[in-house]
Amino acid sequence: MPLLRTIADGLRSLFRQKRVDQELDEELHGFLEMAAEEKMKQGMHREEALRAVRLERGNPEVTKEIVRSAGWESFVETCWQDVRFAGRVLRKSPTFSTVAIVTLALGIGANTAVFGVVNALVLRPLPVERPNELVFLENARYGPGHSFPNYRDLRDRNHVFAGLVGYRIAPMEMETDTGAQRIWGYLATGNYFDILGVRPVLGRFFTQSEDVHPGASPYAVLSYNAWRSRFGADSSIIGKTIRLNRLPYTVMGVAPPDFQGTELFYWPEVWVPMMMQPRIESNPWLDNRNDWNTWVVGRLKPNISLAQAEADLNAIAREMARQYPDVNDGLQFKLAKPGLVGNMIGGPAKAFAFGVLILAALVLLAACTNLASMFTARATDRERDLAVRLAIGAGRGRVVRQVLTEALLLTLVGGGVGYLLAWFLSRVLSRWRAPMDFPVQFNVNPDCHVFLFALAGAVIAGALFGSAPAWRASRTDPNAALRGTSGVWRGGRFALRDLLVVTQVALCFVLVSASFLALRGLQQALQMNLGFQPQHVATAAFDLGLAGYSVERGRSFQQQALQAIQQLPGVQFAAYSNSVPLSIDQSATSVFPADKTDPRPSDSISVAYYQVSPAFFATMGTKLLAGREFTWHDNAESQQVAVVNLAFAKRVLQSDHAVDAVSKRFRGGGLAPFAEVIGVAEDGKYESLTESQQPAVFWSILQFYSSTTMLEVKSSLPATQMVPQIRQAISRLDPELPLYGVGSLEQMLGFAFFPTRTAATALGAFGILAIMLAATGINGLVSYAVSRRTHEIGIRMAIGARPAEVLRLVLGKTAALLAFGSLVGLALALAAGRVISSIVYETRPHDPLVLVCVWIGIALLGLFAAWAPARRALRVDPMVALRYE
Amino acid sequence: MLPLILKGSALMTDKSSDLVQGTLDMLILKTLALEPMHGWGVAVRIEQISRGVFRVNAGSLFVAFQRLQRAGLIKGEWKATENNRRAKYYTLTEQGRKKLNSETREWERQVAAIARILEAS
Repeated sequence: MPLLRTIADGLRSLFRQKRVDQELDEELHGFLEMAAEEKMKQGMHREEALRAVRLERGNPEVTKEIVRSAGWESFVETCWQDVRFAGRVLRKSPTFSTVAIVTLALGIGANTAVFGVVNALVLRPLPVERPNELVFLENARYGPGHSFPNYRDLRDRNHVFAGLVGYRIAPMEMETDTGAQRIWGYLATGNYFDILGVRPVLGRFFTQSEDVHPGASPYAVLSYNAWRSRFGADSSIIGKTIRLNRLPYTVMGVAPPDFQGTELFYWPEVWVPMMMQPRIESNPWLDNRNDWNTWVVGRLKPNISLAQAEADLNAIAREMARQYPDVNDGLQFKLAKPGLVGNMIGGPAKAFAFGVLILAALVLLAACTNLASMFTARATDRERDLAVRLAIGAGRGRVVRQVLTEALLLTLVGGGVGYLLAWFLSRVLSRWRAPMDFPVQFNVNPDCHVFLFALAGAVIAGALFGSAPAWRASRTDPNAALRGTSGVWRGGRFALRDLLVVTQVALCFVLVSASFLALRGLQQALQMNLGFQPQHVATAAFDLGLAGYSVERGRSFQQQALQAIQQLPGVQFAAYSNSVPLSIDQSATSVFPADKTDPRPSDSISVAYYQVSPAFFATMGTKLLAGREFTWHDNAESQQVAVVNLAFAKRVLQSDHAVDAVSKRFRGGGLAPFAEVIGVAEDGKYESLTESQQPAVFWSILQFYSSTTMLEVKSSLPATQMVPQIRQAISRLDPELPLYGVGSLEQMLGFAFFPTRTAATALGAFGILAIMLAATGINGLVSYAVSRRTHEIGIRMAIGARPAEVLRLVLGKTAALLAFGSLVGLALALAAGRVISSIVYETRPHDPLVLVCVWIGIALLGLFAAWAPARRALRVDPMVALRYE
Repeated sequence: MLPLILKGSALMTDKSSDLVQGTLDMLILKTLALEPMHGWGVAVRIEQISRGVFRVNAGSLFVAFQRLQRAGLIKGEWKATENNRRAKYYTLTEQGRKKLNSETREWERQVAAIARILEAS
């Protein structure tokens, strides 16, 4: 209660100040009058009595001041005074204020935006019930995937999970008003929604008992977005039928708007019970122990630790390995945080996000040192003003508070603008869809954590760059300052400023070289040998399995389509395959050297594989080092053949030269005990740009049918002109068939280049920020030096100094500081380079060209930034300068 | 105008014997326990009863009033005086009465203890 009353009373004093003042005035007046009357009773005159009372009881004005400053509200009041005063001071120097606010807005905005991404990817829990109980199961050998029978065993035998759900990202074909469309969804086990604890906004979700018999549960749950964009938020949708892969499914419910499944980057449109897998995908694998297609998320029972859970799972794994040694040999489980496919994507994504966050923090630090040096310079100019205040009795604490208030006011305004920038940026980012067929989307919309981060950033920045000048201000000697003796440039005084400049140049050097390294890395990545030539190749894909084609019909359709394409004008080569390297759809298989008579999983070598048609290598521009391509005769009637890459020849066939590998045999493929190598292709990149050289095998698609078909068309025309013709040719054969991945091969590589491009964009942006900071910082430094020494320059010119000498006077110290800062920066950049090269591919941490360029760049930038103020120094008119002061 | 804060502490010393820290509050509460009273009345009463040992200045007194009011121990109310002047009369609240009793007991306990120590030597 007293606290409440204290607050209420204080607020009254703040907001009804006039009335409270009047009241106090009246009360005090009464007090003094009564005291005077007492004196007058003893025979004093009124005037005399009043004077005596004032002496005895205190001056009324002083008393009022004492009473006013006794409550907490006086602190608020003086703060408000400080803020208003700071506002006036900052308005008086609009250039400084604008530069400061823009610098801070960029610095804090960059940090907030990056933090927003980290927050969304790493810190924010999934929008499900008790998200911290959820774990993602990883398989030590196959990464995120598990075979469905293995999932069933784990689900039924474990003692540590309240439930295990299995799911899989799956494309499907949905019929819409405008024809069939390929959409992305999830296959999910019946317990999926129950275990995750998600509530539908409409209808209900499918349950465990509705996901028992393969093919018997044609139900669909729509995502909120799909419900709105595809069905116009029709609330009578429940119970209606949609057609997926040309079969009817009953819409059961609609998921809540914030629930996009358990993968943070993937926004599905529909969930279908797992038992429908054979109807959704063309190859049924629910009963196959060697198809590692299921992702598994579990909800831990209360009070079960990760270690306990892993121990239980691995005990089961050993059992499973004994039961099925041919597939489960060496099975081992690890648990990871859900959301980013365990460590496969989560690991590098987190490392990258934190790396960028560190760079962002460096940018903010550079901005702060920049402002600190500008601020210190201003504080020095205002020494006289501070001295006056100290001399007439302001406490040093109060002076420090005033300087800090100015700094905080700047950072809060800058931080506010920065937050708005970041908010806008994350809005754009959240809406942005990566330009590929796969629905990669991130919800990085800022929440209250991001706001608090921005606020904390602003306050810390203010404290950082305000503390140096505040400390200087508190040490102002009023005596010296008022006599004007401290206004002279004295060596020791400026040590702090020099340190700030060196720090700033060093930080900028690091940031600029980091972004240059990244950009050069990107440039090299774009020029590196991918193992194929993506230029002038157009692609289009369709899935005959989804469209209900049998193998025979599919095979003949693929060949008809290819013939139709080959007859298009301008086409040089055309081929088809199940997929192409560096697209999102990559497959791996196990092969064994031919001499292993009793192959076990531990002897297997994992290789990337593709099913390709004749002329594939010619179309893709992949060089054959030895042997030949597939022909139309390498079909189901002939023996099993393969084209392998050089890495495969070396690792599996033990052949150092391509020629030696031709005609060698290995175990794999499964059509026959052995496959014979008919050709050796150059090495390339298959899953990612950063992978080390991987072995790869190409099978003849005539021997291994794939219903997923990607057409590759090499022509003399640009891909954009080729695409409509390809569309027409296919639609003449099957007007209903949906095409996806239509465009140029270079466009499709966007997926592979996505991480590198993201990294280079982020680092490039920071580099530009750093350059701007360096320029404003150096400019500020030289301007300040010139304005402080106008007087001195005037004298020197009056007694005959030449322009060169004046320049040396002004720029000498700047150049020295620049050189020293760059040296420190060079050392830091060498250390930081190692971090960057782990993020951005093809980056050499010690790329001398980059470092030399940055050095020259910073020097030129310094000269450029110093140019305007230096010219001002040369134009100093001795007469004017000497009359100054 | 430059925001300034005057160092007020120098003006706050009472002329006669300095009051022991915190005792002014207790004296005010005691004075108001007899009857509601305005500021000058409180000052006079303290001086009279202490036979001029304590003299209270306006600054200390009004700061104490503000403090006690915020703590809910006294209440202020504008009334007319016997000389037809308007003055703010302070009244002890129930809480204030309890506080006074506990403070008094504590004070007596301490004084007795100090007296015993002084007598012992």
